[in-house]
Amino acid sequence: MALPSYTTTGQRIGWYSFLFYCGLVFFFLIAPIFIILPLSFSASPFFEFTREFMNFEPEAWSLRWYRQMVGISSIGDTTVVTDKWMLGTRNSFIIGIAATLLATTLGTVAALGLSRPHMPFKGTIMAILISPMIVPLIITAAGMFFFYSKVGLTHSYLGLILAHTALGTPFVVITVTATLTGFDTNLIRASQSLGADTLRTFFKVIMPLILPGVISGGLFAFITSFDEVVVVMFVGSVEQITIPKQMWAGLRQETSPVILCMATCLVALSIALLTTVELLRRRSERLRGIKLRN
Amino acid sequence: MFKLIKATFLGLIVMAFTSSAYADITFVSWGGAYTASQQKAYIDTYSKGSSITVENYNGGLGEIKAQVEAGNVTWDVVDVLPDQAITGCDEGLFVKVDQSEFINDLVVPPVSDCVVPQIFWAYTAFYDKAAFPGKKPKSMKDFFNVKKFPGKRGIHTWPNALIEMALVADGVKASKVYDVMSTPEGIDRAFAKLDTIKDHVVFWSAGSKPLELVSSGEVVMALAYNGRIGAAILSEGKDFEYIWDGTVLEQEYLVAIKGGNEAEALAFMAHASTAESNAEQAKYIPYGPMRKSSINIIKKGEPWFIKDGGNIDIMPHMPTHPKVLKKAVIADPYWWADNGAEVSERFGAWKGN
Amino acid sequence: MNDVTAGSILTTDGIPLKVSLKKSERRNKIRAFLLVAPLLVFILITFLIPIGDMLVRSVDDSYINTVFPKTFEKYKKWDRQDLPSEELYKTMFFEVKEGSGFSVGKATTRMNYAKSGWKSLLKKSKRKFKKIDEGPYKEQMIAIDKRWADIEYWKALGVMVDPTTAGYYLNAVDLKYDVNKEIVRQKENRRIYNHTWIKTFKVSLLVMFFCLILGYPISYLLSTLPLKYSNLLMICVLLPFWTSLLVRTVAWMVMLQQKGVFNNLLVTAHIIADENRFKLMYNETATIIVMTQILLPFMVLPLYSVMKTISPNYMRAALNLGASPLHAFWKVYMPNSVPGISAGCMLVFILAIGYYITPELVGGKDGQMIGNWIAYHLKTTLNWGLCAALGAILLGVMTVLYWVYNKLVGIENIKLG
Repeated sequence: MALPSYTTTGQRIGWYSFLFYCGLVFFFLIAPIFIILPLSFSASPFFEFTREFMNFEPEAWSLRWYRQMVGISSIGDTTVVTDKWMLGTRNSFIIGIAATLLATTLGTVAALGLSRPHMPFKGTIMAILISPMIVPLIITAAGMFFFYSKVGLTHSYLGLILAHTALGTPFVVITVTATLTGFDTNLIRASQSLGADTLRTFFKVIMPLILPGVISGGLFAFITSFDEVVVVMFVGSVEQITIPKQMWAGLRQETSPVILCMATCLVALSIALLTTVELLRRRSERLRGIKLRN
Repeated sequence: MFKLIKATFLGLIVMAFTSSAYADITFVSWGGAYTASQQKAYIDTYSKGSSITVENYNGGLGEIKAQVEAGNVTWDVVDVLPDQAITGCDEGLFVKVDQSEFINDLVVPPVSDCVVPQIFWAYTAFYDKAAFPGKKPKSMKDFFNVKKFPGKRGIHTWPNALIEMALVADGVKASKVYDVMSTPEGIDRAFAKLDTIKDHVVFWSAGSKPLELVSSGEVVMALAYNGRIGAAILSEGKDFEYIWDGTVLEQEYLVAIKGGNEAEALAFMAHASTAESNAEQAKYIPYGPMRKSSINIIKKGEPWFIKDGGNIDIMPHMPTHPKVLKKAVIADPYWWADNGAEVSERFGAWKGN
Repeated sequence: MNDVTAGSILTTDGIPLKVSLKKSERRNKIRAFLLVAPLLVFILITFLIPIGDMLVRSVDDSYINTVFPKTFEKYKKWDRQDLPSEELYKTMFFEVKEGSGFSVGKATTRMNYAKSGWKSLLKKSKRKFKKIDEGPYKEQMIAIDKRWADIEYWKALGVMVDPTTAGYYLNAVDLKYDVNKEIVRQKENRRIYNHTWIKTFKVSLLVMFFCLILGYPISYLLSTLPLKYSNLLMICVLLPFWTSLLVRTVAWMVMLQQKGVFNNLLVTAHIIADENRFKLMYNETATIIVMTQILLPFMVLPLYSVMKTISPNYMRAALNLGASPLHAFWKVYMPNSVPGISAGCMLVFILAIGYYITPELVGGKDGQMIGNWIAYHLKTTLNWGLCAALGAILLGVMTVLYWVYNKLVGIENIKLG
């Protein structure tokens, strides 16, 4: 934003120092995420920028940790190379996708109900449905650990999928409800008066309009599950290794730079998801005729 | 649309349940160079048909009790400390084993009926030589002296060995430590000594952490398992130095968890505790075997420790070396089995304050 | 028109319109509710009942009664004045000797909470009882360990006679029952939790404060910049939001450790000497720095969405009327942004007080919060009663805050990106 010509020197200094301050905050937000990218290519077994590494000496740079990540050992490895990272990746996707599908289905249907003008106890129900997002994970994990072990759901994929579904639904409810505000209910009436039944109306009229909201809600649910470690730690067993659990174990047990490699992959994934959600949000706003920001 | 979602979902569920064709035995140990040595010495060489998955933990019976209580045992063989071996066996968490094969070949008698022998190891203080260009710390007294040797200390999150070391640092003779500890005043004295370094400690719970803390300069000295220090010096060429004074010598055992895959676990434990397996392990980490015949195998085989470009004599790095034993406290697992709970509670509170 | 006439209007099938409308409205209500019901039931079973179960556990004290039923039956008749009779000793003897190692072990853990020493006493006794075959038992038990003659141990059992207890809640705030079931403070060196509660609130408040002073200016900038710039900068806010919590924590470990990026830069630039590197890892400072960065997006997003709605004309008007920019900002812009401030602060605070992962990894000894103690008792000490009580108190605090947030902001106004 250009400054008007009548601003005084003092105001200019003020404005530029404000911009500088904001720049620092953005740097604070973003820098740590990118600092790990180069480090994942370092040959050092510790999280450090060695002098050799900074001078781009070839032997200080290595793909060794990436090889370990995919389960290939190289000469000079002092720790056991396992296939756990790949196993974790597979499990994370299985649990994440299953939880997302469940959460999206349940959440979308519930959001349709919540957006109806006749919904009774709307506030209370909404508060209950959002609560899994608000209650600290450690409490959720403790409760689930006690209860799920009683009913035999601990140490199983099913238990984790159910738990992650519960954690993911608030996001779906929020995004789909948001898409439904400003939804023109006349469209439903029009469709029904033209002879479409409820299901047909849902898939042909409602769904295309709320789809962006459903997908971004689903992506939120997915990333929630994909990133979740506390519940996995307490409800899952050794079999249910997921990426975050493996990272957590790595940080607590043997700090291996493989963690940085996986972190780099996850950053790439989050950039992809973020881009998708942003594009969807704009599409949704365009579809609903809400004008873009500014 | 519906069909697609349904099909994907069902597919995933089926995949989740069927594809978990999992290992027959889950072997749980302490990670890092130690687990690596077990892997090379007797997991890779085990060919009885059971596949073995290796897990890491940080000690304690908590997880085991939780599994037994929930009736869902997923750990089969666990590498445990002697006091936990006693307690777990008393409380019926572990399977009783046939000890006839090795009972007469051990340096000390086994602590309970549930164990097969592993190694002697020690809690040992160490530092990076670069951190002390001038005067170097030499004794447990120096470890506890933050005036003479300023800087943070890395210590573990449970009280075993710390109580003993605090008393040694306070002037108690190594051989008299447990007499002092058996009086309430003795415990107070140990905690008073611990108080003097309280504001200078960084806690660790995983065995590879102290090495990292010292390497990264986060602390100037740390307590660690001697084998990890040895492995770092020998295999990674780190410039670390042991402080053998006040070292606490401990035993290590394998147990099988009740309700796990008992038969296969016992078969594997028999393989893991042969004289050959115990000796083999010392090729990769400097821990002292518990079997007399293993020590003989090593002595005959020196240089025993495997390194690229020439093997190294391992005996001088062993915590059971006579030179070390003179300065060491021999841990009393029975004392810890009986009094561990109370001391741990107090230590937990000390840590939190 | 009044009610009487309205009531008389009939629909084509002869039902009064009012009734018909009501009926259709009820039908609509039921239909709406039926749509919500599946999720509601799902959340109830997978989430709310487990939490309820945890609350029950925080007062449950029945296990010990199932291990020593006869002892406790006889115990109730004891006068609590002198040492119990041979009868009670004998009952206890057999229940210890014949009980399974697992259940007695578990019971002694509970007994140790009431009086420290019970565990080692029973452990030792159980091993030695095997050799005793006939009475009188009292003398032999005392011969094994003097503590059997200490009346304090017997009195302490009285705390556990009831199947429910408030003891865990007392422990969670550094109080306890003494052997006579009077509420007393914990011993000086056992007081941990009050101090941790205060620290948890302090850290959360500080994190909230730092998020506000870092988040407010950039939200302002984002809301005033032209779309093409603000969209780009918004990514800087949203990317951390989408990036794994653990990844960000790892990144901060790389940044903050002694030989980390931050200290190295300062040393290379000769700002600090090599031996005076800042201690930024494994302490409370680390917890606060890392949590601030992690929670900052939760401050920026609500602030931004409120600030978008503040018309720039307000500020222009104030400036035209002669106010200095700062004055205009303080008097005009700021009050308009208060809803965003309160929403952001509440959200950050609510999320912060339950944090566990980050303090555990970077907090070291003095950066631990109440969540870490909950995990500690859940996983390490297995003191699940205390774990549940700490969790219940935290949950209570959360619920109040959540309720306030709902009144203030409205749950349905939470925005995600």
